[in-house]
Amino acid sequence: MTPHRDPLVQAVHLLDISWRRVALATVTGAGALGSAVALAAVSAWLIARASQMPPVMTLSMAAVAVRMFGITRGLLRYLERLLSHDLALRGMATLRTRIYTRLADGSADTLMRLRRGDLLARVGADVDMIGDVVVRGLMPLGVALVVSTGSVALLAAFFPAAGLALAACLLVAGAVAPLLAVHAVRTVQRDTARARAEVSAVSLTLLHGGPELTVSGRTDDVLAELDAAERALARAEDRGAAPAAVAAAVLPLATGLAVLSALVLGTPATTAGTLDPVLLAVVVLTPLAAFEAVSLLPAAGVQVLRSREAARRIMELVDGPTTTTDETVPAPGTGGRPVLRARDLRCAWPGGRSLLDGLDLDLEPGRSLAIVGPSGVGKTTLLLTLAGLLPPASGTVEVDGRPATARSRPPAVSLTAEDAHVFDTTVLENLRVARGDVTPAQARAAMAAVGAGPWLEALPLGLDTVLGSDAGRISGGERRRLLLARALLGPSPLLLLDEPTEHVDEGAADLLASLLRTDDGPAVGRGVLVVTHRLDGLEHADEIIVLEPDGSVRERGSPRAILGRSAPTATSGPGAPPEGEDRP
Amino acid sequence: MKPLDPRLLRRARAARRYVVLTAGTGALTAALVIAQALLLAHALAPVVTREGDWPDVAPTVGWLAAVVALRALLTGAQERYAHRAATRTVQQLRRALLTHAVALGPRGAGTEQSTAVATLATRGLADLEPYFVRYLPQLLLAATVTPATLAVVLGLDWIAALTIAVTLPLVPLFMVLVGWLTQGYARRRLSTMARLGDQVMDLLAGLPTLKALGRETGPATRVRALGESHRRATMGTLRVAFLSGMVLELLTTLAVALVAVGVGFRLVYGHLDLTTALAVLVLAPEVYFPLRQVGAHFHASADGVAAAERTFEVLDRPVPAPGAAPAPDLRTATLTLHDVSVTAPERDTVAPAHLDLVLRPGEVHALTGPNGAGKSTAVAVVLGLLRPETGSVTVTAADGTRTPLHDLQPATWWNQITWVPQRAVLVPGTLADLVDDGRRISAVARTHAATLTGLQDVVDRLPHGWDTSLGHGGHGLSLGERQRLALTRALLARTPLVVLDEPTAHLDHDAEDVVVQAVRRLRESGRTVLLVSHRASTLAVADRVTPCTAASSRTEPAPARP
Repeated sequence: MTPHRDPLVQAVHLLDISWRRVALATVTGAGALGSAVALAAVSAWLIARASQMPPVMTLSMAAVAVRMFGITRGLLRYLERLLSHDLALRGMATLRTRIYTRLADGSADTLMRLRRGDLLARVGADVDMIGDVVVRGLMPLGVALVVSTGSVALLAAFFPAAGLALAACLLVAGAVAPLLAVHAVRTVQRDTARARAEVSAVSLTLLHGGPELTVSGRTDDVLAELDAAERALARAEDRGAAPAAVAAAVLPLATGLAVLSALVLGTPATTAGTLDPVLLAVVVLTPLAAFEAVSLLPAAGVQVLRSREAARRIMELVDGPTTTTDETVPAPGTGGRPVLRARDLRCAWPGGRSLLDGLDLDLEPGRSLAIVGPSGVGKTTLLLTLAGLLPPASGTVEVDGRPATARSRPPAVSLTAEDAHVFDTTVLENLRVARGDVTPAQARAAMAAVGAGPWLEALPLGLDTVLGSDAGRISGGERRRLLLARALLGPSPLLLLDEPTEHVDEGAADLLASLLRTDDGPAVGRGVLVVTHRLDGLEHADEIIVLEPDGSVRERGSPRAILGRSAPTATSGPGAPPEGEDRP
Repeated sequence: MKPLDPRLLRRARAARRYVVLTAGTGALTAALVIAQALLLAHALAPVVTREGDWPDVAPTVGWLAAVVALRALLTGAQERYAHRAATRTVQQLRRALLTHAVALGPRGAGTEQSTAVATLATRGLADLEPYFVRYLPQLLLAATVTPATLAVVLGLDWIAALTIAVTLPLVPLFMVLVGWLTQGYARRRLSTMARLGDQVMDLLAGLPTLKALGRETGPATRVRALGESHRRATMGTLRVAFLSGMVLELLTTLAVALVAVGVGFRLVYGHLDLTTALAVLVLAPEVYFPLRQVGAHFHASADGVAAAERTFEVLDRPVPAPGAAPAPDLRTATLTLHDVSVTAPERDTVAPAHLDLVLRPGEVHALTGPNGAGKSTAVAVVLGLLRPETGSVTVTAADGTRTPLHDLQPATWWNQITWVPQRAVLVPGTLADLVDDGRRISAVARTHAATLTGLQDVVDRLPHGWDTSLGHGGHGLSLGERQRLALTRALLARTPLVVLDEPTAHLDHDAEDVVVQAVRRLRESGRTVLLVSHRASTLAVADRVTPCTAASSRTEPAPARP
């Protein structure tokens, strides 16, 4: 793709729309609005000519034309709307696919950023907004250009001075009004952004914290805060309303001026005999219909402005660096016994502080490892690095001698993050995310293995129960067990599990212990690496690595050695510094 | 959908004033439209028939110029005020919505709907702007300009008026049809769009997970297919929705054309004079114009009206009348829950089921049970935020008077309670403000409490210490740190009852110690503590433990007696 500075141009380019379709839709739209202009012109001629009481036959052509234009307007408009919407919808489907593909190829930190704030929620609206620019922005602009040129040419053919006056008025209405409207919207957007964010934040505080605020009697304080934010918002909105008002007034003014100038210029010309009186009526009355096309331009300008904002966000998201997965790497380890080997590893979130100081680590099927560290130490970063989703800050992470970042398919290493996603679909489909051909029997067995059997049985539709978006309807513990079952069903021989038993209230230690027993547990024959901040249930790990709050290794060794010594003080400190780099 | 919902006028004062003002500008616009047409006809006709010259028509043109200027001014003024009215109305509705949602309590708006209300308040209601700025003025113009211009046409030429009068009722007829079809279309489009959007967003949200499992490439074709099926579904509905729009446009344009042709032929036979014919020709489209605009802005305003309707739905939900009796002193009163059951929304479970709990003054009472057993729901019942479907909640005062909890005046009950929920609300402010919570607290006491909860370590590490400013929702602190803050605040509370919901949920290993110590401290100072936890170490500190269990609502649960 050739780089272009304007994000909207870039984004429209990504829509991959057919310009032939655009031209067709524009011509159809121009035909519709042109019909209205022609209707006005021909009926003006018809009436003016009729007043001279000619033989009726001379009027029949005009009468037919008037009726015809009365019909074509509606018909062509219908066609144009269908054509342009189809065009936009095609483009949006393409854009969504491209965004998905780009993000799938994108780096882990771009992806993690997605989950922050409302970025993700906005992607959908932004794509719609970019699609709308075709229907509501570009199309009206093209139509207005064609119709205005045609109207001016028509008038100029009869009476050049009136044509010129109409051109000037159209230009004012078609340029000044949209510019003012865009200015108004931009002013409002700029000045209200802060106030709007404040209103939203206070609204959410009220809604989510409503019960607590009610009990502690703080509701009125927060409502007062809301009122203050609303007042600031209203003031900012008012500032933008002034140019919007002028923009709205420009259109009737320009239309009136076009009619008036045609009258003022045409009347003496008619008296002087240079302009046919019948044509005077045409010249004076046609402008009344000629402004409909430009009347759509202020809205079109605003649409372009809004769509550009949306395009900027989309392009920022899509233009992130891509860590291309080398698709040619074959599935590793003949016999499915790959070895994950980290040497002298230091890892860091892009732009963040680094942790670990030269860690050596080996994970192979049949071996289990536990890394213990306080929350905020950067466990997510470490796991992403080990999974090959982040490049190491220094040192190496290799799977069977190849850098882990060159991930194979299926990957030798699978990562189950603490915030791993539960899809808004059935339990079974959620398990099939790891492997497409999981049978219901296998799914039930895996769920039972992680202690989710009773829960599954209690579900109204069992495996076919639909879970809400991001598991809104299941508890933290149930969710964790589901994620574990998913990891166990996957084909990867090496499993990285982030806090696998957090929120699991009953039997958390037993579950963790069973996961670490790679000789007879549910993860039999796999290599399991668990990251946790508790020491309970680690007695079956082959090795335990304890991290300091600053990310360095405090001690490592067998469970007996570690658990014997370091009792509950294993993790201390109230967590990470604020805005820890490793909490995506 | 009603074009002008009376509830809107009732609920928003700004909307009422705006409608009155817009009706006024509408009437004025009607007068100006008529004046413009008549003046134009009178200026043009004499010249066309060669009966007049520039000096004869110049004054008329002058008047015409004045009318044009006035119309432009009026349009500008209307627009100026429309924006203001839209802003004010949205604000008034938002405030009403939020106040009511808070008053309804945790289950009042429905847990599933709490995000819907949030979307409504932060975004949905803003869609009312196009309704106010575009749709409503045109609606009122249709009520003023259309009848006024038609009346003038009738006075000028009854045959043209008849043509218009015959087609005019067809316009509202098709409008209703448009509205009817559009409503169905909008609903279908919305649900299709929502479904598609949700699925695509779900895939995007799950992309890190898919990537971590090495399964990110497959769904690209799914995204493509979803887009394609969405396009087909949408185009199918658009073909129908736009069809009615086309008929509407066809009708109005064709009617104008027929009026023009009819007037033309009557001119030829001398039944009409040119001035009248021109006036009719200019006025005929003006009769239809507002109606067509109403149709054109219908789509843009539909979202806002739908948002307003959803707001009214929430506002129309009644808030249970609060009790009036003052709450007894909780230092001596006992709270009794007997056989309390609450059905979980959208789940076939009753959680808690048949809960019995006696909370005596001065004791530390732990509520325990697995996830989903309804522990937090039980807390909401104790707080009086939720009325259980079955069972009773009574407060027994020291003198033995028993009062149902919902008969108590809520404020007098809540005044005596400090509650630390799983996710505490933090409004923006400094750390010190947040901990003090408007109370007068000495720095020594604050530091003392903060040392106990471990918050002091956090404060010490911050460059501005206690003066560090936090944003909304405690932005700048981790979940665990926020929980320490909320605990510190609770420690400093002077209320007789302290409710701690899962105080260790987001804390690290040593957190249990912190909570145990905090609870001990509270007991020493004579406070009653209701503690929700499932950790053995935390439960050990309790004087009494009540298990909480859930039951399936499909089969009648066997009464589980703790």
